[in-house]
Amino acid sequence: MTGTEPRQPGPRRPRERGVRSSSAAGLQAERTLLAWQRTLILLFAVALLHLRDALQNGGAQPGDGAWYRLLPAMVLLVALGVLVVHLRRRWRTTDHGVHDDRTGRPPAPVARPWALVLVSAVSGVLAVGVAVSTLPA
Amino acid sequence: MAAGSDPSTGGVQTGDERSGGSRGVEPDYRFTLANERTFLAWIRTALALIAGAVAVLHLVPLDWHAGVQLAIGLALTGLAIVITVYAPLRWLSVQKAMRRGRPLPMSALPVITAVGVALVCGVVLIGSYWL
Repeated sequence: MTGTEPRQPGPRRPRERGVRSSSAAGLQAERTLLAWQRTLILLFAVALLHLRDALQNGGAQPGDGAWYRLLPAMVLLVALGVLVVHLRRRWRTTDHGVHDDRTGRPPAPVARPWALVLVSAVSGVLAVGVAVSTLPA
Repeated sequence: MAAGSDPSTGGVQTGDERSGGSRGVEPDYRFTLANERTFLAWIRTALALIAGAVAVLHLVPLDWHAGVQLAIGLALTGLAIVITVYAPLRWLSVQKAMRRGRPLPMSALPVITAVGVALVCGVVLIGSYWL
């Protein structure tokens, strides 16, 4: 110990806490963003699964049935684009999930509440679409 | 901005950021984010059930009784619909409880999901031995 680094518990403490909380903030918000990405990727995959079925059966028997199946998937793809844009924009404006200018703390929730409602509504629409597509057959 | 709005210890008065619209003190942001992740996990559960329904109803060639196949597919989609309706309500009620410092509300959704999936498994088992 050369003593070149004098301990300064008083002044250092707030800054340490600030650094620690901001790095923890980055991790927490990033985990949440990754959860969003998993969810949206799964949503996309399930939509494609449903769409594939609609296109295959629609080719075999063209008619209104194909549109009933295509419509939920189209709505879903549009909503997916809206959600991706919203998440990207909010992630950038909050300095990669570290600092929200309006509140001075990490963004919580990462997406706005309407995005939560939108993603659940779209999943519900997809479920209804899957159920309806089987009923006439 | 209030001086005591340290995100790791205290909260921010609502009005600064409204994430659900109710009175109370905004909880630690980590709790809000955890609540959001829980919501997203429920949505993924619902999506997995939908994928299973699509597989049973359309994709996988099953030589089951048609009624059994339809019942399983509709049960899976019904369960998914229940989850997608309930997940945002659950998110909101947990958020409100955290703002007011109350204990988190109990939820019947895990039990419903578990019983539903168990029933579907039972029907699949019966259906695959029946025909």
